[in-house]
Amino acid sequence: MKKTKKFVAFLMASTMVFSMAACGTSKSDSATTDATANDSATETTDATKDAAETSADGKTVITFSWWGGDSRHEATIAAVDKFMELNPDIEVQTSFGAWDGWEEKMATSFATSTASDVTQINWNWITSFSSDGSAFADLNQYSSIIDLTQFDQSKLDLCTVADKLQAIPVSMTGRIFYWNKTTFEKAGISVPTSLEELKKAGETFKTVLGDEYYPLVVGEYDRMVLMVYYLESVYGKPWVENGELQYTAEEVQTGLEFIQSLEDDHVIPSVETVTGDGADSIDKNPKWMGGVYAGIFEWDSSATKMQSALTEGQEFVVGDYFKDMGDYQGGFSKVSLGFAISESAKNKEACAKLINFLLNEEEGIKLMASERGIPLSKTGLQVCTDNNLLNATVAEANSKVLAWTQFSLDPTFEDAKLKNNPDGIYYDVMQGLSYGDYDLAAAATALIEGVNGVLGN
Amino acid sequence: MAKNANTTTTVVPKQNRGFKKFLKDNIGFFFILPWLIGFIIFKLYPFGSSLVYSFSDYHLFNGISKFGIMNYTDIFSDAKIMKAFKVTFKYAFLTVPLKLTAALFIAYILNFKIKGVNFFRTAYYIPSILGGSIAIAVLWKAIFRNEGLINTLLGYFGIAGPNWLSDTKWALFIICLLRIWQFGSAMVIFLAALKGVSGDLYEAAAIDGAGKWRQFFSITIPLITPVIFYNLVTQLCQAFQEFNGPFVITKGGPRGSTTLISLLVYSNAFKSYQMGLASAMAWLMFIIVMVLTIIAFISQKHWVYYSDEEGR
Repeated sequence: MKKTKKFVAFLMASTMVFSMAACGTSKSDSATTDATANDSATETTDATKDAAETSADGKTVITFSWWGGDSRHEATIAAVDKFMELNPDIEVQTSFGAWDGWEEKMATSFATSTASDVTQINWNWITSFSSDGSAFADLNQYSSIIDLTQFDQSKLDLCTVADKLQAIPVSMTGRIFYWNKTTFEKAGISVPTSLEELKKAGETFKTVLGDEYYPLVVGEYDRMVLMVYYLESVYGKPWVENGELQYTAEEVQTGLEFIQSLEDDHVIPSVETVTGDGADSIDKNPKWMGGVYAGIFEWDSSATKMQSALTEGQEFVVGDYFKDMGDYQGGFSKVSLGFAISESAKNKEACAKLINFLLNEEEGIKLMASERGIPLSKTGLQVCTDNNLLNATVAEANSKVLAWTQFSLDPTFEDAKLKNNPDGIYYDVMQGLSYGDYDLAAAATALIEGVNGVLGN
Repeated sequence: MAKNANTTTTVVPKQNRGFKKFLKDNIGFFFILPWLIGFIIFKLYPFGSSLVYSFSDYHLFNGISKFGIMNYTDIFSDAKIMKAFKVTFKYAFLTVPLKLTAALFIAYILNFKIKGVNFFRTAYYIPSILGGSIAIAVLWKAIFRNEGLINTLLGYFGIAGPNWLSDTKWALFIICLLRIWQFGSAMVIFLAALKGVSGDLYEAAAIDGAGKWRQFFSITIPLITPVIFYNLVTQLCQAFQEFNGPFVITKGGPRGSTTLISLLVYSNAFKSYQMGLASAMAWLMFIIVMVLTIIAFISQKHWVYYSDEEGR
């Protein structure tokens, strides 16, 4: 009896200690977890890399992870359930969450080979995490399962690094203007279709609606994208090509001057104003929701998110690219996201089957619809169109982006050292310029040095 | 017959006896073994390995290609990192004294026999439970945003409040305020110490004509110096490790005015994947906290009163 008591005491103590250790005892550990759960609670089901290769009932077990909002989660779970129904020998364990903190989590899992078997990836992750092809499997080897003919070769090439097709591109995306038509009408003007009209709108908003009203709002990274759009329109060359920045210091200064002029002309609020609004992102900013900020320059795939944030009675419209920006059609498109199979996955065939089901098979496509943008898969697009599954606003924006943009994006554009908030170069330069810490020359030098640092030049 | 039976049942194999003795002699060790295993795996190993990494160019995806002191030289030549160290010092030296003062002041008041004192003690302690949470940080952000509660209240008095979160002069103050507001745990410790001060001393002082202030500075403070010292050291360590507040409220901005070193460690490790540099920064921070703690320990002989040491 005494022995049993001792054993139980020992067992209890062990359990307690290990459970506490697993929770993490340091403050910063819990901080990270909390922060990840900040925006919208990270929902995670029991998918872990430790899942057995086969389940107790003999099924092949694969894991699948993605990020997104609630509607994407619901659609994907429904599609996965359907897949399991049609493939009773495969069990898919899922894990999903909000974007906030997701990239850090995935980076750690890729580095430790504990990532899910099938992963929704950001395009630049291929170069960031698998430039030598070590993290993701070559999907060309599974072309008998995944119907690659559904995709343009040029799009597949965008995901081919180290001679391996490391992901299947799901959709293409680019930045475009969206306007709150109701606010423009309140100011007595129509939504701008040219740069000149936009600049005039700044003055009109100030005089008619008041100081706090702006026709456009852009964060630090948005400013960078907008500047590249401007530079490409003026100079007709991509930002980075063949690992080289294509712009001189003077040209970059011109771009920065353009951004600063928008602030000076009351077209966009200063960084200090936007930061002071205390919102994590523009769609959560009460001034966007209420129509005080009446325009954004956003990814086409973000249309529904930005639209649904507006309070009732406001009309949200897709804008046009400005023809008077320069002599060229500036702006770029890029792979929005893709599906990849981890090199460490044990059942790659089953993974390939899942990807093909989600992108190329009618039942999967119908459930996924345009939750990840306008499908690049020919069948995917056809099924969505035939069944009226595409969001009209997203479809309009996407068609405008693809029709206008002529430049592609170098994946390093989204490198963490540049894009990090708050210590990335883009943030430093755009904030510094807006706060008056940098003059144009200093800002251009800092930006060029930062970009060249990432490019290794 | 019965005697024989008893003898038979109590016979234990020699090997088992040895094991039992071993167990008995080392039972304490076995009880702490689970903790020890957890400590070695989750604390000691990362602690040691981070020291090794700090002398390497360890990148999460590219591994290690060289060893040296380059991370440490980089730290001292990087203006951004040096600024973060400066901001961290500013944060710590602002919050710790203010938090301790607030905690002691409230504890002193709550030590009086006033009506509903238990309610007030609970009320003042609650921020300590909530304060470190993300929810409170989010709430803090909402309170101090341009059109938040504070500026709305100031507006009623015709005062145009500043951009608390985006003005480089105010942002750090807002972060400090969140930490100071969580004075509850320090307050409870002070309260316990105040309870331990004998009432006789106050009575004697009162008879000698000492007022409340004189009693506070000449009796209360000297007698609770060990607790002040304890709170000082723990709060100092906590302040240098602060992460939640600036991460959620300002993300280190504006213009790096709230970028504490912990934020840069996180950013370098998990966003830029430069584990070597992040480890070096963490170690430098550890050394700084250790030096400050040593200074505090050395200084205590000049100002901390221990009653068991002949009143020194």
